[in-house]
Parts: sequence; C-alpha cells; structure tokens
Amino acid sequence: MRIAIDWLRNFVTVPGNTQELGNILTMLGLEADYGLDTSQLGDIIIGQVNECIKHPNADKLSLCKVYDGKDTLQVVCGAFNVNAGQKIAFAPVGAVLPGAITITKVKIRGEESLGMICSEKELGISEEHDGIMVLNKVAKVGTSFINYLHNYSEVLELDITPNRPDCFSHFGIARDLSVKTGSKMKSPENQQRSFQKNEAENWIRLKFENENDCPRYIAGIVQNVKVGPSPRWLKDRLESIGQRSINNLVDISNYVMMDIGHPTHIFDYDKLGSKEILIRRGKKGEKINTLDEMERKISPNELLITNGKKPIAIAGIMGGLDSAVNENTSNVLIESAYFEASIVRKGAKSLGMSTDASKRFERGADPIGAENAFWRVIDLLEEIAGGKWIPGVVDPYPKKINSKRIVLTRDKLDLLSGCDINDTFVVKTLTGLGCTIKGKSKKWTCVPPSWRPDLEREVDLIEEVIRMFGFDNVPTKYHYNGIMETHEPDPHKELSNIISILTGLGFIQVFNNSLQSKKIVSTLDIPAVKVMNPLSDTMSHLRTSLIPGLLETADYNLKNGTTDVLLFEWGNIFRQEKPGLKGIVEKFQLTGIIHGNLNEKSLHRINKRPASFLILKGLVDTFLTRLKFHNVAFNGLKENELGFLNSFTIKVAGNTIGYIGDISSKFSSNMLLDLKQSFGFQFDLNQLLKLLETTSRYKPVINFPLIQRDLNFVMDEKIQVGNVNSTIQNNGKNILLKSEPLNIFRQESLGKEKKSVAFNLVFQSSSKTLEDKDVNPVIDEIIRVVSKKYSAKLR
Amino acid sequence: MKLKESIESVRKTFRADSDPFPTDIRSIEALRVKYLGRKGLLAALFSSMKDISDNDRPLAGSLLNELKQEINSVFYVNKESSETNQVAHDESDYTLPGLKFPIGHIHPVQQTLDEVKSIFMNVGFSVAYGPEIDDDFHNFSALNFPPEHPARDMQDTFFIDPDTVLRTHTSNVQIHLMEEQEPPLRYIVPGRVYRNEASSFKSYNLFHQVEGLYVDKNVSFADLKGILTYFVKRLFGADTQMRFRPSFFPFTEPSAEVDMWSEARGQWLEILGCGMVDPEVFKSVDIDPDVWHGFAFGLGIERICMLKYGIDDIRLLFQGDKRFLEQF
Repeated sequence: MRIAIDWLRNFVTVPGNTQELGNILTMLGLEADYGLDTSQLGDIIIGQVNECIKHPNADKLSLCKVYDGKDTLQVVCGAFNVNAGQKIAFAPVGAVLPGAITITKVKIRGEESLGMICSEKELGISEEHDGIMVLNKVAKVGTSFINYLHNYSEVLELDITPNRPDCFSHFGIARDLSVKTGSKMKSPENQQRSFQKNEAENWIRLKFENENDCPRYIAGIVQNVKVGPSPRWLKDRLESIGQRSINNLVDISNYVMMDIGHPTHIFDYDKLGSKEILIRRGKKGEKINTLDEMERKISPNELLITNGKKPIAIAGIMGGLDSAVNENTSNVLIESAYFEASIVRKGAKSLGMSTDASKRFERGADPIGAENAFWRVIDLLEEIAGGKWIPGVVDPYPKKINSKRIVLTRDKLDLLSGCDINDTFVVKTLTGLGCTIKGKSKKWTCVPPSWRPDLEREVDLIEEVIRMFGFDNVPTKYHYNGIMETHEPDPHKELSNIISILTGLGFIQVFNNSLQSKKIVSTLDIPAVKVMNPLSDTMSHLRTSLIPGLLETADYNLKNGTTDVLLFEWGNIFRQEKPGLKGIVEKFQLTGIIHGNLNEKSLHRINKRPASFLILKGLVDTFLTRLKFHNVAFNGLKENELGFLNSFTIKVAGNTIGYIGDISSKFSSNMLLDLKQSFGFQFDLNQLLKLLETTSRYKPVINFPLIQRDLNFVMDEKIQVGNVNSTIQNNGKNILLKSEPLNIFRQESLGKEKKSVAFNLVFQSSSKTLEDKDVNPVIDEIIRVVSKKYSAKLR
Repeated sequence: MKLKESIESVRKTFRADSDPFPTDIRSIEALRVKYLGRKGLLAALFSSMKDISDNDRPLAGSLLNELKQEINSVFYVNKESSETNQVAHDESDYTLPGLKFPIGHIHPVQQTLDEVKSIFMNVGFSVAYGPEIDDDFHNFSALNFPPEHPARDMQDTFFIDPDTVLRTHTSNVQIHLMEEQEPPLRYIVPGRVYRNEASSFKSYNLFHQVEGLYVDKNVSFADLKGILTYFVKRLFGADTQMRFRPSFFPFTEPSAEVDMWSEARGQWLEILGCGMVDPEVFKSVDIDPDVWHGFAFGLGIERICMLKYGIDDIRLLFQGDKRFLEQF
C-alpha cells in the first residue's frame, strides 16, 4: 500500500526524514520502500535549470542550461513543464537509466544536448511521462538523487502482511508508529450523530439470508447530493498516493478507506428499484455487470447485495454498474458493512478479482470501524457534495462480533522472548495498540481492539510486545538443552562423496526442471503424475525419468557450441501407480549421460575419442569401485521400459542398483533434439545409499608371487568376449586372481568370421608360492571348457 | 632379376624398421616418408620398372604391388591404435600444454546446499527429507494455513488434485517429523519445492529450500536469534551486518525476516524467514504447546547462491549451460 507522509502527519508526528521513517516502519513489520527500484538510479544527480529558452529550430523543445554542481551544461528538453529555477533529476552523459538506457551526447535539431532531465517514467517511479519530475526546492544541487529520495520522498510503499488488516490505512499505520515513538495520536474526525426519529427506516429495510455471512450492515441515506469534481484538497490527497480523482462521491468513499481503513459503498438510491435490501448468497446462473463494466457470472460462492430480486453489488468486492452513481445521481444509499472474511476471499478468488475493498475484507474488517467510516462518509457528503442526511441509520447488527479475553502471563512472555521486558512497557504497548488490559504483573487479562482480528491468543500478544520492544533489542543466545543425537545426522551423507567421484571423472552436475510436457513424459510407458493447474503445456506432468532433462540440457549445450558433455543429476522422479496421493511413488535417482567426444583432437592425441558404451561402462565401473563396491555384475538385457537400448542391469551383491546402456533414440525424435547417440546410466539412489552404509572389511595383503599367463583363442566372430572371460573366471579354482581380455585380432588367415582373442590370466595363492604344477592343471581345464563351450581353438 | 632382389631387400628393411612399430608421431611420419613418400623407397622401385624388360614386367609389377600392400596394411593396422589413445611421445619440450582430461563441476546450488547443511550440522542439527508431493494437511492445514486464508496466496500452488499439492515449502516434513517423533527435535530439511509462478530472472517454478526446526522445553526468540546469527555470519562472513525484521508466516508467531546489508547495492537483502513455532502447529500434531516450544526457519538455496556468487538470473541455475557451470 502506498502512503503519503504528509497524510500520516494528520494523525501523528513523523520522526526524521523519509528514510528514517521507512526504517522504523520496516522494523515494525511494515516493510517500506520508495515504491521504486533505486538500484538503477545511482547515476542520477540533482540539477538546477538556470536558464530555459525556446529551441531555435523546434517549437516543442526547450534549450536549457543545467547546473550540475560543477558545470553548466546545455540540455535539450521536450517537456512542457520545464522552467528556469527548477530543481530536477538529471542524468548526465554516461548515466545508465532503468531499462539499460545509456545517456550519450547528442545533437537534437542542430543543438547539442549533454544529458537528460528525467520524467518519473524514465526513473521508473510511475507511468507519468507528460512532464519532468520537479523536485522539492530543498534538494541540493550536485548530490545524488537516491539521497534526495531518502530525505524528501513524500510517499512510501508498504508491504502489508496478511495478518494486519488494520494497517491498510494512514490512521492504522500512524497508530503503530505512535506506539513505537511515543508520539501522541490525533483521532480521526468522525462524530456519531444523534437523531430523534429514525427516518432512514422509511427509506430502507434490511434482510439477511444468513447473518454469519454478514454480521453487520450499516445503511443510511443522503439526499440531493451534487455530483461533480472533488475539491482541490481531496484531489491532492488521492493523487499523492497515486489514485485518480473520479468524482466527489467516489472520491469520498476512496478517501475514507485510505484514511481510516474501512471500505464503504455509495449506491444511487433511485436506481435500486426497491426499498428492501436482501443480503444473500448468489445463485447458479445469476449475472451482474460490475463497475468495471464486466459481466460477472455468480455462483453460491459469492455473497450478494440485492434489491430483493436482482444483485446490485458483490458484497465486499465490487458494486454493480446498474446502481452506480453518475452525474445525474441525487439520492444515495451509504453502505458500511462487515462481511465475513472467508466469504469475501472465496468470492474474490472464484471470480478472479482483487479490489481495494476485497483485500481489506478478506483479511478481517473492523465491525466498529464500519460505524466510524459510515459517519465520516455522511459528513463528507454533506460538506463536499452538498447533500442532506436523512436522520437515522439502519444498523441491525444481527451477529455481534466480540473480542475474546486473553490471559497473558509473565512466565510465557519471559520464556518466549528470552529477555526482560518490564511491566510498564508491556502495559503501555498493549494499551497503545488498543487493548484494554487488567491485572498486574505475572498475569494480565487483555481484550484486544475490534480492529485487530489477528490477536486471538497469548502468543499473539507476546508478539506485539516483542515487536514494539524491537527484535533487534532481543539478545542473541546460544545454548541447547536436552538433545544429544548419536545417530548419523544425514541420511544423504554419502551423496557428497558420490558427487565428488562423478565430478572427478569429468561429469558436470546439473539441476533440471521436474515439470515436463505430456509429450516428453509419454516417451516412456510409465504412468506420470499430472498437474491440475500447470503454468503451461510444457510443464503439465512430473518427470518419470531424469533422462529427458539431461538430454535437453545436452541439446541446449550442443546448440550453443558445446558438443561434448558428461552430465549427471540427482533428484526425484514420480510415478502414478495407482489413483490418488497414495498411488504416487517418488523415487530418488542418480542419472548421467555422455554425448559427443570424450576428448577432442589435440597435440597429444591424434584423434578425438567419441563417447561410446564401453567408455561409459568404464566410467561407471570406476565410479562403483571408488565407492568400494566389488563384484559389480553387468547383466545384459535388450531394451527396458526406462529408455535404454542394449542395456545392462548393474548388480551389486545380488541387488539391482541401476542400468546402463545406449539412450533410446525415441527421446530425441520425440523431443526434436539435434543430439546424436548418447549413452547413459541410472541408479536408484536410495538403494545405493543404503548399500553404502555397510563398512567393507579388510582383506589381508598377500605377498606370494603372481604368475601371469596369456591364452590366445580363435573363435567365431559372434561370440561375446565378456562371456568367455566369465567362463575363464568361473574355472579359476581359487587361484585365478583375475582374467582380462588383452587384444582382439582379425586376419584372413584365421578364417572367415573368426577372431583371435588373447586373455591375460593372473594367478596367486593365499597360502604358498605357486609352481607350474599348480597352475598348469587349472589352465588345461580352462582351455578344455572354453574350447568346448565356445568351439574355440587355442592358437 | 635385379629388381626382384631390390624388392626383397626393401621388404626386409621395412620389416626391421616397423617391428616394433614406432609410437610417436614423428617416427611414424619418418617411417612413412622413408617408404611411402614421393621420393621414398617404394617410389624408387616403381620408377625403376621402366628399365625392366617387357617379359619380366608383369611378375615384377605384381611383386611390387604385393610389397606396397604389405607396407600399407602395416601402417593401417598400427595407425588405429596409435591414433585413438596413444600419447605422442614428444616429451622433449616441457613448455607444451599438458594432456587434457575432462573436468567435472559441482553445481553452485549443490555447493551452497552443502555449505548450509554443514553449518547447521556443526551446531547439532540432523537432516531429514520428505515427499515432494503431499496432502493439503501437511503442506497447509497443519501449518495453520486455514482454508480460504489470504496467507495461502503468499505461495502460488501447483495442485495434483484438490487435496494434493506439489509442496510449496519443505515445512511439510516438519509435520511428518512431529507426527513420527517425540520432542525434543532438532532438524534441517533440504528439498525441492514448487511455486506456480511464471519464470523470470528472479523466479522459477521450483527451487531448493532448507527448513529448520528446533523443539524443546525452553526455547526462546533469543535462541532463534543466536542460531541464525551464527549461521549468517558463518555463511557470509563474521562482519556481516544483519537485522531481524517482524513479518508474518502462518506457522510461526512471532515471525521475522532476516536481512543482511549489502554494501555493493546499498540496501538490505532478505535472506531467510523464521519465527517461533505457532501453538496451532503443535496442536495439529498433538504436541502440548504449554510444554514444548520451538523455532523454525526457512531459506531458499538458490537465493543464497545467487547472493554469494553474484548471479543475477535464477534461470541460469536450471539451464545446464556448460559455459556457466564450468565457472564453479
């Protein structure tokens, strides 16, 4: 909410300059700023227009001499309101304005211009572009404009939190300020009027469908108003907070709301079409044209003000067009009501409307403030619009809103605040905020004021006391009682180790969006969780795999000139396995891909090395070994539902922990990516972390010598070397330490579709030095089995 | 025939020269020039063909072609292995750049998250995690967001169905923890949270949050200030100027926002929200608010990360641009 500092002075003495006031309000929880982003105004300084003549070659331009504190510069200005003697916001040559506009030296119609005199729009303060911003005479030439704002800005923009409906007015802000500074409050001028006979009742009758929706509705009549422009003071007030003056009636209602906070509505009485006002819920199919000339479809979510048949306003949100005042209005009905907060909120939400009135009602209005606002409007209608009040008021108040009594104890205050706040301060603060307070130290009974619906419990009062005491005056303590945790504090402890290893291997970590398009998630045949209200079609579903995000990232890099990437991400994926929340499964995953070349051509490498399945397999193997997983098994599969082709499952100690394979080209074609073949791995992170919890046990180091033998088999091309190697390993009889294919050789002399594969076998015994007689029988057996199983011949 | 002898002699020297096949580029090139170059041995043999009698020419031709094939195939076979992965053994010039290996990078959000976690773990906080999709109760109602309350507008929400949401904060885990464990409790909860907001330089549809909860019998606002002052000074430096400013969150009372002063920008910057756990929150999980008190706080990792590294557009953190990430 924008407040004018001068308006605030109606109620309270304002301390210091604008910046100081802003700080005090901010530290009261009413976050204040200048309503503009000053971060881009650092180059602007205060200048003075010393001379202003007509541009010799252009009718609408002026030629000014601007003094910037050092030099006098010629500046061409197109604003109608520029005049000699003004203090102005000056952007010198080289200054950068909001929107990254840099001021340069230019010639305009043949005349040199060395800078710019700024309008509010150019400064990003408002949309006002008609003229330059003329500053207060006290501004000091040559000093920074930001400094000027700190000292002399006449408005502040306040961010009002949802719990403070009472701060939506100058009066409400002044009240908080006066309690903080100790300066005395001046009450707003509103006088309840007395009357002999309630004549208003002859004009209007009220009926309530349900008093819970509208606990209070005050109505009164003013006759013979003259609709016209508002007087200067009223226009100035509204314009000072950026509101446009419309006519005296509308302005009065707006002014009272900004002044003391309660929204009122003024109906054209003669257009109501009935003397009866019925307050009821909307009906399905009902419609109303609102003041903003929009047709609104009504439902039972909205509370309506009706003339018994037709709606004339949406309660607490906006008036109807048919009953609106205009230049011909003469008799008016004044409404000042208390609508139930949740009804107004529901209505505003379902209609997609947010108005000055609805903002106040949905946070909780003030049932007594409604009365004050009513009488203030009546006064002003007589004073400004020349109307005549019909004595009386229709105010049945069917459901009294009473404030609760709250007990505040010294013990709780001390415990929660953690500091000493004396009795005098407590009583002074709560009284100042409007509470009636009884009792002495240790225990007080408080009744909060009608304008503070947020004060319901002891803790709410304690907050008020600490807030006024100043959060910064509370000491900082540092101690614990009673907790000594002995379990591992972080279930994801090993994740940082995993990340270190992968980045050490050359992988770059990324975080991708969890929300994807239907098209992308449909690449995999996994039921995806759907968002009911997505931002856009591209983010309508939750990811079922981390692969698409990684591919998209790789593709983004490809399009920006980086072909070669090793990427990984950890995060959750989601499956809708059964309907409802219980059917949603979240899985914690680690996925990586490689694409392009592992290394480029360089001085040291004659050729680039393209990413391949076996390179990735080596990386994954290194990764798992580094995590101390031994006996990792890669078991072949063809294709899996997770998006891998030629895939292998990765097993550790009998548990499937992940997959590795070529990434299916379905992704690229579905997502229209430029990527070539990529290769990927995927781990179930929960499983991985769980397996990492077990500590591996030490194995004794063996000092008996190693014996190495090479075996060379000629076999059919189609035989898979990994299988042969497994067979060798399985026949090692406890003394084969490891076996590894060394090289593969193809030559016509071997025969058609044949290859020769050399294996390197390493033998060692844990109990003695091996001799030929120990090793040879094992080797013979290996040769026999391999030859038979794979129709291979020893070469 | 003299040429035949010459061919055999070249074959013999080639076999000697090429076994073992040289591994460095210069020697390979020298070998190639010696035999296959324009003025090489093979070219010399071919040019001497013109002196051969017509009778001998077909035989000499086929012998010569055989030799050429052999030499070519030796180069071919060895070329692959030397080109794909062998280091050129030109190690005489130490001013040459070293062999390059792929370089990985830890994401700045991860680095910030790790740092935040470690600071709180240093003062005894444990870490807990929870679901990203949760019901209205855990994300809102139990945290004292009544239905139809304007506080719900503070966080634009993605719904899965009317009672299921993508969590808007990790505070849902606060509720799970208190449902499952008896106080005292001292946890931080990192995780991904979602906001239904259009993307811009300062907002994205998701971010990572760390929420903290401390519940014990005697916990005061002064303790909250103590822990968070420690945290901010550890993270941004011991001289960091900071302030606690009153604010509003439905699940804390009193509530505060913590700002730190940025000299560079000449303004206060919001870094986290906090407050004393609201009694309504305790009631919703059957913890007696007359016995137990506590504080809670929440901070956005991306925001802290952006402040720390001077990153001005949050979308950079989710784009995966290598040129950006390789700076970290």
